Amino acid sequence: MSTHNVPETFSIPVGPLHVALEEPMYFKIDVKGETVSHIDINAGHAHRGIEYLTTKRTMYQNVVLTERICSLCSNSHPQTFAMAAEKIAGIEVPERGIYLRTVADEMKRVTSHLFNVALLVHLVGYETYFMHMMQVREIGQDMLESIFGNRQDIGAMCIGGVRYDLDDKSIAYIKGALDKIEAETKDIIKTFKTNGSILRRTKGVGVLTHADAITCGVVGPVARASGIDYDVRREAPYAAYDRLPLVVHSLTDGDVWSRAMVRLEEILTSIDLLRVCLRDLPGGPVNINDRPDIPPGQAVTRSEAPRGEVIYYLRTNDTPQPERVKWRVPTFMNWDSLRFMLQDAKVADVAMIVNSIDPCLSCTER
Amino acid sequence: MNFLTIFARNLKQGPQTEAFPLGPAFTPERLRGRIEFKAESCEGCRICERVCPANAIRFAKTPDGMTFDCWHNTCVFCGNCEFYCPTDAIHQTNDWDLSHANADKFDMVEHGLIPNQKCADCGATALNTAPMVKNAKPPLSAEEYTELRARCPKCRAKYLKNRKVPA
Ligand code: SF4
Ligand code: SF4
Repeated sequence: MSTHNVPETFSIPVGPLHVALEEPMYFKIDVKGETVSHIDINAGHAHRGIEYLTTKRTMYQNVVLTERICSLCSNSHPQTFAMAAEKIAGIEVPERGIYLRTVADEMKRVTSHLFNVALLVHLVGYETYFMHMMQVREIGQDMLESIFGNRQDIGAMCIGGVRYDLDDKSIAYIKGALDKIEAETKDIIKTFKTNGSILRRTKGVGVLTHADAITCGVVGPVARASGIDYDVRREAPYAAYDRLPLVVHSLTDGDVWSRAMVRLEEILTSIDLLRVCLRDLPGGPVNINDRPDIPPGQAVTRSEAPRGEVIYYLRTNDTPQPERVKWRVPTFMNWDSLRFMLQDAKVADVAMIVNSIDPCLSCTER
Repeated sequence: MNFLTIFARNLKQGPQTEAFPLGPAFTPERLRGRIEFKAESCEGCRICERVCPANAIRFAKTPDGMTFDCWHNTCVFCGNCEFYCPTDAIHQTNDWDLSHANADKFDMVEHGLIPNQKCADCGATALNTAPMVKNAKPPLSAEEYTELRARCPKCRAKYLKNRKVPA
């Protein structure tokens, strides 16, 4: 009989600042040996008061402010906000503006998904391939910078349309960049299906069953990887999605691998959608070329951000500032599911599983 | 592509990183960088000041006229000002290099002055702003534009009203 009195369970704090976490979140993990037996999630370390700030800024300033809520979904926020303002004021976005909104949306989705899956590879420990994937993403980032003038806050949206336009030269450039990204993404998918290290670390890890997914009300790629066939772009089409051949990808395993796979497949779909948009791009103005006052009213709008459904509630009064802006971001819905995914996981997989929901705390805690 | 192929390709291509500061950095034409202000095209409508989400733009009345200041360190490079400006008075250049010594932080300002002038008609002191004539029909000739610009807002309105419009 051992004389050492070693307790069977330990509590490990992970975060709010931790090498494996990109953003501040606090996990108290109880482990038994190497297995997670209980988990406490605690958030609220990155509160920036943006919701309050929106009521101190005019509608037109808020388009820029909402873009800064989240860097990777930075197009979905101002778009959904603008959609709400347009709904209240009864503004019709011109046809060309509608297509260009879709173009901006899908470009951001491509780079966002590439970023998340690259990070997964980094957490798997395959650093060289992580570098390679980030280099592929860089093609997309250069594209954003060349078309919109910024790598993250692309500033494409305005109330009543978009702020940018495409000419033959930029369309040709985008098509070239998409060809490169598409070829590389197909290779990445092949690697994900065959590479032993990636498969061993991600298959069957962090499983969220279909039933648990419904219990948590998860959205976006997390939901689709657990067999919930749901995408706002199809359920409640906005921008030009009702005219596009959108394919919604879903898998049934609900593990880390499936979530990455859904994202990779969505990149290819986004590229297809972009090509169709560029081909069918109608002529005419890109916005209403006006800055109308938004009358009092309220509206709820939603869109499919790279991370999932984002919902905006906007209430205006007769001042230039909104009375209330409230948004529900995808990570808010998704992070509860971590409790299920992390249950009985190995400690070494914790960071990887957390990353697999593509958490974005800057928008959840704003 | 398996990894050895990527490795061989990268070996041939050399580093993907930019040589900056030893070499040029990738700077697309449309990059949204430092703000540039052209006082002579400004209509003084102050829309830019109103739509700027960062409050980086300030107009102020001085004895010499109206000054424009854009604080580069407050600006978030969103481009709202250029987008809503009715003229081309405010423009985002693709100059992104705004690094500076801490001691120079209060000099990181784009400054402009819309000077005062004496109205050619009534002699009142008024700003020499660019006239708002985008929708004037028919468009003003260069001569008319100069004449109009030399007047105060009231006399400008009168001038436009009395303008002989050919049928
Ligand atoms: S810079 Fe443009 S928006 Fe600003 S006051 Fe002058 S004309 Fe108006
Ligand atoms: S770019 Fe944006 S933040 Fe900068 S001065 Fe213009 S409106 Fe203000």
